[in-house]
Amino acid sequence: MLRRYLRLFGVQLRSSSLLAMQYRGDFLLEGLISIFWTFTALAPLFVVYQGRKAIAGWSFEEALLVVGWFTLLQGVLEGAITPSLNGVVDHIRKGTLDFVLLKPADAQFLVSTTRFLPWRATNILTGMVIFIYAFHQMGRGPSLPGLLAALVLLGTSTLLLYSMWILTVSAAFFVVRVDNLTYFFQSIFDAARWPSSVFKGALSVVFTFIIPLALMTTFPAQAMLGRLPLQALVAAVAGAIAFAFLSRKVWLRSIGHYTSASS
Amino acid sequence: MISVRGLRKHYKVHKRPPGLKAAFRSLFHRDYTTVKAVDGISFEIHPGERVGFLGPNGAGKTTTLKVLSGLLHPSEGEVTVDGHVPRHREAAFLKKIMLVMGQKQQLLWDLPPAETFELNRAIYDVPPEQYKQTLDELVTLLELEELIQKPTRQLSLGERMKCELAAALIHRPKVLFLDEPTIGLDVSMQATMRTFIKSYNERHGATLILTSHYMDDVAALCPRVIVIDKGLLSYDGGLEALVQRVRPEKRVVFRLDQPVEAERLTPLGRVVSHEPTTAVLQVPPEAVSATISRALANLPVTDLTVENAPLEEVMSELFSENKARRAAAAEVGA
Repeated sequence: MLRRYLRLFGVQLRSSSLLAMQYRGDFLLEGLISIFWTFTALAPLFVVYQGRKAIAGWSFEEALLVVGWFTLLQGVLEGAITPSLNGVVDHIRKGTLDFVLLKPADAQFLVSTTRFLPWRATNILTGMVIFIYAFHQMGRGPSLPGLLAALVLLGTSTLLLYSMWILTVSAAFFVVRVDNLTYFFQSIFDAARWPSSVFKGALSVVFTFIIPLALMTTFPAQAMLGRLPLQALVAAVAGAIAFAFLSRKVWLRSIGHYTSASS
Repeated sequence: MISVRGLRKHYKVHKRPPGLKAAFRSLFHRDYTTVKAVDGISFEIHPGERVGFLGPNGAGKTTTLKVLSGLLHPSEGEVTVDGHVPRHREAAFLKKIMLVMGQKQQLLWDLPPAETFELNRAIYDVPPEQYKQTLDELVTLLELEELIQKPTRQLSLGERMKCELAAALIHRPKVLFLDEPTIGLDVSMQATMRTFIKSYNERHGATLILTSHYMDDVAALCPRVIVIDKGLLSYDGGLEALVQRVRPEKRVVFRLDQPVEAERLTPLGRVVSHEPTTAVLQVPPEAVSATISRALANLPVTDLTVENAPLEEVMSELFSENKARRAAAAEVGA
């Protein structure tokens, strides 16, 4: 079973790469654009930290780590999650999801692996550069356990982002047009560029429990700094698994709701 | 092979009167009505049969095909296909069937069809040996040699449809649902598709259900037809018998040596068309030979043929008959 899906994954990846190479110009441009956006993402940080030493317990260099994680995850989101799942919305509107549902393989797997934008990997590299710069400024490196924890959290963050997209896309089965919902999701994700302790009161509850942005960027940054308690790491893993489980349930229910577009 | 008993599929749709005001109101309050897409139909289809679904637009043909392929859940009734309940969508079931839709495509738009074939091979777990054999066969029969390495978006509609059909047959489905597979194709491409579909059925013993608006498709492919109208089954049987029932009259086409006046034709039968040197008359089947001998005696006939009315006409007559019957029933009910 696992081998079969790995092979399927390989085939899907192959057609994505073929596609990427077919439109070289387009993808080169996308890479350039994503570098540009990363630097625009850094701008507010410089403004906010002008004449201030620390905000909500985060120094400038530490907050850079959060931006680094934000950039890296944006690369994951836009390179590996959004392209495929935006395709689902199209499929639902045009009724071509029929073909996906006719295939003897898991529909969620099939729709989640149809398209990858390899050029978005530039974001991941930019994220790394930001980490190196931030630690260089701090005059130290991350601890090994901290790095390992951060790697685990990269996994949970990706899972969380993916699950949230699945939930968003599931809504498309009911309302058909979800363009606005996907914009809404992206604007909310923007909040993840700030350390979560910046948000106070109701917002902090929303961003921790309802839309777990804090888990995605602040936790791994804290882990790198060696400031993340073990309980928080365990909670993040458990939370991500629970979220993935929930999104799977919702997806399965939504599929039952699919009415297909008439021919 | 396929068994359908008391199938119903009702949809709830939101109904909105036209106009901006109504559109605004519908943001807050929506009226729903139930659409009975399929309202209680039953039939059995045996292995290897070729069956045509006929009916006007919105009759419930596509809905029925989608229920049979597991895409839609029936509201009521029992459906089995080769022992499987379609809506469970078991892998074993999905590997046996395929639905081809003339208006929707599964080919990857920016990549050559060969890539879609490869993807389907992986998804359906087709053994390499069988894949090669199937592909060779499809490439030869459908003349795909030149096409499968070109990006799909560069293919013409007809070429794309041939590749679409090939992509659907990579796993050699035992049951094939074809929803208007020839829509928009030119006459010769339609004929190619028909010949191929028929030979697939004969070579692999596949069961086949076809819907089409082109009566030629149905006449060429389907010895048996099921007529669905307004979600109800109104006929199930041989195509020939259906024509006999709805329009038993025959058409006699006369080619004439020189033009004749209309008055000389009317006593022979109902004049369907009359051009200077061709006349088409419609007569009851028992009067055919009498009409012919009278015509031969009285008119400058050079050639003649006896035909059934065109299938299109037969169908539209059947549908308007059904409509009249429904209207009458509604009046009695009221």
